[in-house]
Amino acid sequence: MNRRSETTAALLLIAPFVAVYCWLFIYPTLQMVYLSFTNAPLIGPGEWTGLRNFERLFGDRTFKIAVWNTFYFVVLTVVPGTLVGLGIALMVNRLRGWMQSMILAAFFLPFILPVSVVYLVWNWMFDIQFGIAQYVIEPIVGEPVAVFRQKAWFMPAVALVTIWWTNGFNILLFLAGLRNISPEIYEAAELEGAGRWAVFRKITWPLIWPVTVLVLTIQLILQLKIFDQVYLFSLGGRTQTTMVLVQYIFQQAFVNNRGGYGATVALALFVIIIAFSVMQFQALRLRGER
Amino acid sequence: MKLSRAILAVPAFFAAVSIAEAQTEVVWWDFLGGGDGVRMKSLIDEFNTSHPDIEIQATTLEWGVPFYTKVQTSAAIGEGPDMMTYHTSRIPLAVDSDVLSEITADDLAAMGLSESDFAPATWDAVQVGGAQYAIPFDTHPIVLYYNKEKLAAAGLIGDDGLPTGLDGIENFAAALQKLQEGGTEWSMSTFTASGNFQFRTIYSLLGQQDGEMLTDGEWLAGENKQKLANALKVVSDWVGDGHVPAYTEYPAAVALFTSGQAAMHINGVWEVPTMVDLQEKGELFEWGAIELPVFFDHPSTYSDSHSFAIPNNKDNPISAEKRAAVQAVISWMLENGLFWATAGHIPALNAVTESAEYKAMEPNATYAVLTQNAIFDPKSKFAGVASPMFEAAGNSFTASVNGEMEAGEAVDLMKDELDFLE
Repeated sequence: MNRRSETTAALLLIAPFVAVYCWLFIYPTLQMVYLSFTNAPLIGPGEWTGLRNFERLFGDRTFKIAVWNTFYFVVLTVVPGTLVGLGIALMVNRLRGWMQSMILAAFFLPFILPVSVVYLVWNWMFDIQFGIAQYVIEPIVGEPVAVFRQKAWFMPAVALVTIWWTNGFNILLFLAGLRNISPEIYEAAELEGAGRWAVFRKITWPLIWPVTVLVLTIQLILQLKIFDQVYLFSLGGRTQTTMVLVQYIFQQAFVNNRGGYGATVALALFVIIIAFSVMQFQALRLRGER
Repeated sequence: MKLSRAILAVPAFFAAVSIAEAQTEVVWWDFLGGGDGVRMKSLIDEFNTSHPDIEIQATTLEWGVPFYTKVQTSAAIGEGPDMMTYHTSRIPLAVDSDVLSEITADDLAAMGLSESDFAPATWDAVQVGGAQYAIPFDTHPIVLYYNKEKLAAAGLIGDDGLPTGLDGIENFAAALQKLQEGGTEWSMSTFTASGNFQFRTIYSLLGQQDGEMLTDGEWLAGENKQKLANALKVVSDWVGDGHVPAYTEYPAAVALFTSGQAAMHINGVWEVPTMVDLQEKGELFEWGAIELPVFFDHPSTYSDSHSFAIPNNKDNPISAEKRAAVQAVISWMLENGLFWATAGHIPALNAVTESAEYKAMEPNATYAVLTQNAIFDPKSKFAGVASPMFEAAGNSFTASVNGEMEAGEAVDLMKDELDFLE
């Protein structure tokens, strides 16, 4: 087979994917960019309004709050969530046999719950009248706290719930990484008389680093797109003070019936995610090459 | 939920295949998921049994934004139902986005209905720009539920057996004080965790001062800002003075009342079945429900209405035959509104509320008079349940009712947010 026919075959084979990708991803993305220059409602066309939506975006207080809250949420979840996941994975890794499977299953169980169930469970636990979490909060704060209604408590509480809910997946990734580290390296370290901390710092941490980078990247992109939990927990309350970016897109497009402006906010989020992913990737790569 | 929808879709599919038969299918969407949903299903079953020529294929969807988004998107591509339930407060937005088919004089004639069959405010709520877009099925205001034993002990029950001495801001506050002194933990409970739920109470109090949210396209024009702040302050004072628990969730607010920990309760009439069922099981005290007391100048209560509407399916308009079937369904439902009243809602048809059977229903007959004082949402595409105005109320009122913000500041914040809408 010559090179030319090989190229033809390759093009032919990827063509279906490229066609579907262009149709279902590239075309809608371009449409969204176009939409952000119009005053279109949720359904149907709108008129071209030039940069009007972007001017509005920079003067929009709720948008600024949403950007800030999204970053705040990322700070509260990405690194803490990764560290908690690594910690639990290290502990689970020390267990053996059915005990390990049981404990792992216990940590993974929340991950398979739908967000609505997670919301109901935690909303009842934190309920100001009847919630069991108030027995912990009341002695510390001095009075029951409406956790999902007060600004200072809202994001940390949602972050806690999110880490509890999604950490099972991170633990699995870390566990897979830990099992990939050859036992001989640990045996050699033991022979040299290395302590537990030295083993972790000099062996486990560097060798688990690629998995850590993966987990951090997945978490970052996931948490920048936070929507469901924040939306559910803030329902009916002060949605503006707890607004996050995807929720604001939803609110503008679906509640306020403004597809054009919703697309503008979506475009802003798109740019933010790309910028962050590139920055994080560069930073972590440098760290890894050190 | 998804599974049950899929199961519902299966008969609809086969029904569509066998359309050649004489039976006319009416595809029906509603958002009635609670106790009223159960009642609506039995009404639909009864209709289907008594009308061999028409078959209602009903699907219940998620209340609020999900329902209205689905209606809007499906009407835009001609895939909407033949008829659906609709909140009258959402009609201005629906008309703005061309989702509803106009109800013509011919439709009304075919159903044998006219303006005089309905309460004036309820009838007005389905009219936008001189055209009609829905047929009201009920009026569902908020009411004041009360524990008769506790009110009697505090001397707040009159000779007619109904609460007395609650009118006026000071009198009401004094009554709250008396109830608590009588050993009740809370004088009253309501869904204080949600500012947009509190909009219903606060808007009623705005109406009692003849205030308006929207005047000639301007939000909270002139004195209306002060009037809204007055109304908001009444509610936040109940919480601030320790009579009403702060940040209470919906189920908790209901539970505080039904367990006797709160002597009164402000909620929609849709909780009437909860009380009726509990009392039948012998698990509830003597209770009642009345129109909200007069705090300012005259009685006025926020209300919304479930109505029936026909979607404007693009490029797929409803056939004359289907439209006739829909008319038959709507007029039958209205005539059988008495059963719907067991869900707490006030039937829209005057003939039903004036019937001897309805007058014997308590507490429904006691609070039904409030339809004469009912006020509906302002007619704006930004107003209505689950609307931007509701969101704005959530932001301002949640903070203020629970004592995190002064009433005046909260109203300023609300006006800013409403003015930013376009």
